[in-house]
Amino acid sequence: MSEQIREQVSAFLDGELPNTETELLLKRLTRDGELRESFGRYALIGEALRGAGSHILTRGFAARVNLAIDGEPAQVPGHVHQARASRWWRPLAGVTVAAGVATVAIVALQQRAISPGLRAASAPTAQNASVPQSSAAAGAREALSYTVPVTSTDAPAALSPGRLTNYVFAHSKYSLGLGQRGVLADLLIEDDEQQPAPIQGVVQPPSLTPDVRVAP
Amino acid sequence: MTRTQQSRAYWLVPCTLVGALLTTLPQYAKGADDPREWLQKMNKALATRNYDGTFFHLSGGRVETMRIVHRVRAGRVTERLQSLDGSGREFVRANGELTCYLPDQHTVLVEQRQDKGPFLGSLPQFDASVSDFYRIEALPATHILGRPARVIAVNPKDQFRFGYRLWLDEKTAMPLKTQLCDSRGQVIEQIFFARLDMPENIPDGDLAPTVHTEGMRWVRQGPSPDNASAALAAYRASQLPPGFRLTIQGAQTLGGASAPASHLVYSDGVATVSVFVEEQPATAPGVAAAPGVAAAPAAQPGPPLQGLARVGSGYAFSTIVQGHQVTAVGEVPAQTVEFIAHSVKIYSGGELPHH
Repeated sequence: MSEQIREQVSAFLDGELPNTETELLLKRLTRDGELRESFGRYALIGEALRGAGSHILTRGFAARVNLAIDGEPAQVPGHVHQARASRWWRPLAGVTVAAGVATVAIVALQQRAISPGLRAASAPTAQNASVPQSSAAAGAREALSYTVPVTSTDAPAALSPGRLTNYVFAHSKYSLGLGQRGVLADLLIEDDEQQPAPIQGVVQPPSLTPDVRVAP
Repeated sequence: MTRTQQSRAYWLVPCTLVGALLTTLPQYAKGADDPREWLQKMNKALATRNYDGTFFHLSGGRVETMRIVHRVRAGRVTERLQSLDGSGREFVRANGELTCYLPDQHTVLVEQRQDKGPFLGSLPQFDASVSDFYRIEALPATHILGRPARVIAVNPKDQFRFGYRLWLDEKTAMPLKTQLCDSRGQVIEQIFFARLDMPENIPDGDLAPTVHTEGMRWVRQGPSPDNASAALAAYRASQLPPGFRLTIQGAQTLGGASAPASHLVYSDGVATVSVFVEEQPATAPGVAAAPGVAAAPAAQPGPPLQGLARVGSGYAFSTIVQGHQVTAVGEVPAQTVEFIAHSVKIYSGGELPHH
């Protein structure tokens, strides 16, 4: 990102870029994928510096600063995993109808289960519960990880993307307002990450081809 | 009371000035500066105005560029949401159908859907019950996109729901920037416009998909069986986080399933959680089909599902309750979907709980 573009982006994020220049910046961003990527990193850092923050940034802020300045990512354990976890379901609008073979591999990506301790702690315990016991530790759990790999074939299978996407689609009809916007926007986003190797002991689903109807 | 009337009162009856101001100021606050009024203005603008804008969607450490075109003509809404980044995906809503063009998957999904709100989303009316669980406040005004903007915060009062911060254009009340925040105020997802036009007319061409559908597979969603709802009416959450209540119940045929699932929708007026209850044996995980799409004929019973997953800016949690697969999903914190899913019970012949 050149200094001029950097200044334009900075002014844009501050709401101080004139409309004419905003239009030019947008056009440039639209046709220049590399610039758009840089802009994304820069925007995130800008937001962080303004104190807006996000749980992503709190986890890997230093890495993102390094990335923007040097183009070299710093090693932040857990960051990649977290990013994947936040997006894994996005491409599944297509995957769900594009047959199960790809899904089989994706399933391995998201195998997850709650440990018995967490599960017990999160069960509601009072009729008029205001905050379940798990609430107090929610922040800490989110910062660490919710996931505990399934290590036994006897354990329940984790939520699978193909199946969960069906739930998400059905839910999106009823999600209100801005929440629905998030659902739809996420569904527009292409997933371009590699799928990791299966976790040991995970039950693999069979490969199935759905019967689809072709519109005239 | 208008400013003109105020002036007249000042000149003609000076002694009533204080009284006039005392009655005028609260009205002014309620009308011009009341954040609830601004949220309603935003709702109206999103639903009734024509707009064509490009925005950035930031979530999960990633930025995507999208275009939204929204047209209202003779009371009919046509809307197009398009990814300007790699996937080329587009959603078009017109004539009661939502069509999802997925060129990267060589697929077009068509759902019959009468969405209540626009793609960009609006917020529901804020009545007293919503105010019990969200604190709505006006933050200092600022500028964004070079335009003066009102900043409204919808803060959750507990950890069971997310909140919003909204930067609304002073002139049009359109949300130029929105943030989804957790109860600690940390941003989970945000969008902000790089460009927003509100033209008098939008030509048909701007609402037509640019995706070439030749050779693509078309998939249509079928309706759920009408008689399924009654048979599945015995499932309920026995306990709910404060403010949540049952708003919709019905049956939903999920992709890959041989039997419909009970679909319960719980809402606090802003946040929404769907609960799906299915009798086991469940369908095989990984069965790939959209809701309502005919199931794979060879679907084998899969193992029960259990666990928590991120879904966009929200969460899903699945567990087993009394031999049934229960899955809660919504744009809410993890603990909310966990709480609701764990509390689901099957009421056979007994009284259902009132929420």
